[in-house]
Amino acid sequence: MNRAVSLALWIGTFTGVGLCLGAALAHAAGLGASARIASLGVVALLLTPPLRLAVTAAAFWREGGRRYAAAAGVVLLALAIAAARALTR
Amino acid sequence: MTAIALALIGVSAGLLGSLMGVGGGVIVVPALSELYGVPFREAVAVSLVVIIANSSASSAAYVQRGASDLRIGVVLELATVTGAILGSSVAGLAPVRTLKLLFAAVAIYSAVSLWLRRHQASEAQVAGAYEVRGWGPGLAVSTAAGALSGLLGVGGGVFKMPAMTLAMGVPFKVAAATSNFMIGVTAAAGAYVYWGRGEVNAELAAPVVVGTFVGARLGSSLLERLPARRLQVAFAGILAFLGGRMAWNVLGGPG
Repeated sequence: MNRAVSLALWIGTFTGVGLCLGAALAHAAGLGASARIASLGVVALLLTPPLRLAVTAAAFWREGGRRYAAAAGVVLLALAIAAARALTR
Repeated sequence: MTAIALALIGVSAGLLGSLMGVGGGVIVVPALSELYGVPFREAVAVSLVVIIANSSASSAAYVQRGASDLRIGVVLELATVTGAILGSSVAGLAPVRTLKLLFAAVAIYSAVSLWLRRHQASEAQVAGAYEVRGWGPGLAVSTAAGALSGLLGVGGGVFKMPAMTLAMGVPFKVAAATSNFMIGVTAAAGAYVYWGRGEVNAELAAPVVVGTFVGARLGSSLLERLPARRLQVAFAGILAFLGGRMAWNVLGGPG
């Protein structure tokens, strides 16, 4: 379980930080795309916790920790509702 | 404000996070709002994004080593996420003056907490080798820590740590790793609410995120070589200064 959760966190982090670095470099070079790249980087970072929760819930479920899987699932649902409300405002 | 100045704020926050086990928010928010005049709620939103990056990177390493207690983490996240959604919703309505005073109090509390922790021995432990108790106080403090995270853009680790170690009987190192594991999810819940209000400035956040990542990597590689206790005292002084300056400005001082 630890390996899968850790991998999800690394994927989200490297994608988000990489895009943020790209945005900072594009901004320094005066490229107009910097704002869009920065937004993509921030979105990647904002999606990392739900990705980690989904992987954690699935891993607990597979290992028989149903109550912990349910807890992770409820947190994931709360995040999904908060994100949906943010997108529809 | 140049991208280099923003990245340097991030480096400081990353160093603080990795060396002291404190979320970088207590540095990012006052640095952006008090030193560079960024609107307070926008500074909080940037800080939440930075906290997600910092927490994800450091907890990836902790989880890989088995240092985080994922069972405690997912249960307490129920409380921190509830608190964060409430806190960030209230932050949209509360006067900035009140938020700044609350932030100043949290920064000064964090400074005192760091100062007191400078002699604390931290035993090496792995997750699971202990009996967890005191779920009630743990959940209550986690809800409050989540609310502060949403209100002020801080990680809330300085509140969760004593709750986990003292009330729940979790060893110090496991509590630190588990707190780190939870902080990203808590910050995301708050960040979504700020995003919905249009207060997440991605161009401002990007260089701070990069700086934080570099600072965190630098901090963890220098951890054994740096005089950690002296740094802890220095960071406590910086936090007390930033918190004091924010309170002074709100209460009518110049600036």
